[in-house]
Amino acid sequence: MSAIQLSRVTKRFGDVVAVRELDLSVESGEIYGFLGPNGAGKSTTINMLLDFVRPTEGTVEVLGEPVETAGADLRERIGVLPEGFDVYSRLSGRKHIEFAIESKDVDDDPDEILDRVGLGDAADRNAGGYSKGMRQRLALGMALVGEPELLILDEPSSGLDPGGAKEMREIVEAEADRGATVFFSSHVLGQVEAVCDRVGILHEGELVTEDSIEGLRDETDSEETLILTVDDATDDDLDAVRALAGVSGAAVDGTTVTVACESAAKTEVISTLTETGIEIQDIETESTSLEELFLSYTDGEGVVGTDGEAGSTPEPPTPEGSQ
Amino acid sequence: MSWLVVARKDFEDSIRSRWLVGLTAVFVLLISAVAYFVRPGPGEEVSANAILQLAGDLFVGTLVPLIALVVAYNAVTGERKSGSIKLLLSLPHSRADVVFGKVAGRSAALSTAIIVGFILPAIILAIGPFTLEFGAYLGYTLLVALLASVFVAIAVGWSAAAPSQRIALGGAIGLYFLFVPFWDAIQFRLQMAIASLPEWVPLTSETVGNLLFLANPSSAYSGLTGALLAGEFMSGETASLQLSALSMLLFWLLAAPLVGLLVFERRDL
Repeated sequence: MSAIQLSRVTKRFGDVVAVRELDLSVESGEIYGFLGPNGAGKSTTINMLLDFVRPTEGTVEVLGEPVETAGADLRERIGVLPEGFDVYSRLSGRKHIEFAIESKDVDDDPDEILDRVGLGDAADRNAGGYSKGMRQRLALGMALVGEPELLILDEPSSGLDPGGAKEMREIVEAEADRGATVFFSSHVLGQVEAVCDRVGILHEGELVTEDSIEGLRDETDSEETLILTVDDATDDDLDAVRALAGVSGAAVDGTTVTVACESAAKTEVISTLTETGIEIQDIETESTSLEELFLSYTDGEGVVGTDGEAGSTPEPPTPEGSQ
Repeated sequence: MSWLVVARKDFEDSIRSRWLVGLTAVFVLLISAVAYFVRPGPGEEVSANAILQLAGDLFVGTLVPLIALVVAYNAVTGERKSGSIKLLLSLPHSRADVVFGKVAGRSAALSTAIIVGFILPAIILAIGPFTLEFGAYLGYTLLVALLASVFVAIAVGWSAAAPSQRIALGGAIGLYFLFVPFWDAIQFRLQMAIASLPEWVPLTSETVGNLLFLANPSSAYSGLTGALLAGEFMSGETASLQLSALSMLLFWLLAAPLVGLLVFERRDL
C-alpha cells in the first residue's frame, strides 16, 4: 500500500505555479527524502498532504484516503513536523506535548517524549523562551505522540546544530524500525543520504528525478563532468552534443562549456564540438559527487536532467507562494 | 470532543494573556470605583442594583465589547500569522474544532476573569450602606459574561474569515463602532425609512423596531440587565421581549463563528 500518493497534482497561487503535475508515491514503511532547493515547492506539496492548502488540480491520498474528504481523523495516524510553525509562547513545553496527547486521545507519557527529543530539562519552561532548535525538537516531540503510522517532517533539521541533526536522524531511523513510514523534506543532501531508502528531487515544482541513494551513486560513479574553456559558444551549438549517446546534459556560461557524460563519451563530445566550429582552449574533467549531482538537477545552470526537457531551460525560480 | 481539547488549550493560553487580565482589571476597578464613590446620603437605603445600573449605563455596555474584541480579534489570524495554527491543524482537529474551540476557550477565559473580578465590587457593595441582592448580582455578572462571550464569538468568527491580521484588526474596530456608538443612529435611520410599511409586509413597524434594537447584542444585553435589576427578569410586560433578546444573544454566539468557519474552510493556510 502507498502511504502517500499524489496523482498529477498542480497547485497555483494566482499566476504562480508552485507545483506542476506532480506524481509521487511513497511506499508504506520506507524513508523517503524529498529534496530540492528553497522555493522548489516542497512545503507546498507537504501542505497539500496535510490539507493546509488544496490542490488546483489532481488528487492527494494519504494512508489510502483522499485528504480533502478524509477529515481530521486521518491525522490521528500521522505525526507532523510542519515548516514555518510557531509555538504557543505562554505555554510550557510539557503543555504542548500534553495537548498533542489529548488531541490524539492516547496515553503516552509526556516526560518520556520530552526526554527522547532532548527537552527533559526545559519541560516546564514557557516555550516562548525556547531557541529555534528547541522549538524544532518540541514540534518533533508532538509529531511522535501516539506512534503514528506516517511521519511527515518538513525540513526537520533546520535550526539544529550538527549534534541535533544527528539525533534527529537517529529518531527517524528508530521510527522507521518501529514500522512507520517517514517522509521528510530537506534542501541539504547530506541530511538525507545517510538515512533515506529513496529520494525524490523537486525543482521548480516538478519532480526531476527519483531514485535510491545507491542508484544516484551509480549515476555519479559512471559520470564525469567535462569543463571546457572555449573561444565562443552559444546554447544552440550544444544541441549536437546533447544528442550524443552517454551525454546527460550540457550547458554554456560565457566561454565555459560544461558537459556531464559517461567517461567513454568524452572523446566524441570533444570532436563533436570541434566539428561545430568551436575552438577548445582548455579541458578539465571532474568526477561528479553526489552533492554536485543534486546541484546539477536543481540549480538551473550547469548540467541538467537526463530526461531531456525537465529543467533544461533555466527559468526564474518559482516563489513558494504559500505562507 | 476535539473542540473541547482546543478550547481547554486556548483557555490556558488566553488566561495567561496580559491584555485579558489587564483590561478586565481596569474594568472591574471602574465598577469598584463607582461602588465606592457613589455614596447614598445619610439615612438613605440604596439598592446595589442602582449602582450596577449606573455602572452599566456608564461603561459596561461600551467596555465589555471592546475587551472581548481586543482579546479575540486575532484568535485565528494571529495563529495563521505566527504559524502556530500549523501545530494545531497537524493534530486531529478540524477547522470547525478550531473555530468553535476558540470561541469556547476564549469566552471561558474572559468570563472567568469577569466572574473573579466581580468579587471585589461585591465586597465593597456588601460593606457599604447598600442592600446587596445576591441573586441579582450573580445574574448581572453572568449577563456581563454572556455579553463578553457574544462579542468573543463575533470577533472569532470575523478572525476566521479575515484574510490577514490587519484586516482582522480593522474589522474588529469597525464592528465595535457599528455595535456600540453608531447603532442607535443606524437604527433610527432605518426606522425612519420603514416608518410606513406597505400593507403586504406582515410586520408592524414596532416589530421591526424591536428587531433592529435586539439585533445589536449590546442593546439586547442592556434590555436584559435593565429588567433583571428592576426585579422583572423573564417576567412582567417585557417578558417576551426579554426572551427574544436572550435568543438573539444565543443566535450571535453560534451564527458568527459559523459564518466565519464557512469562509475559513475554503482558505489556504
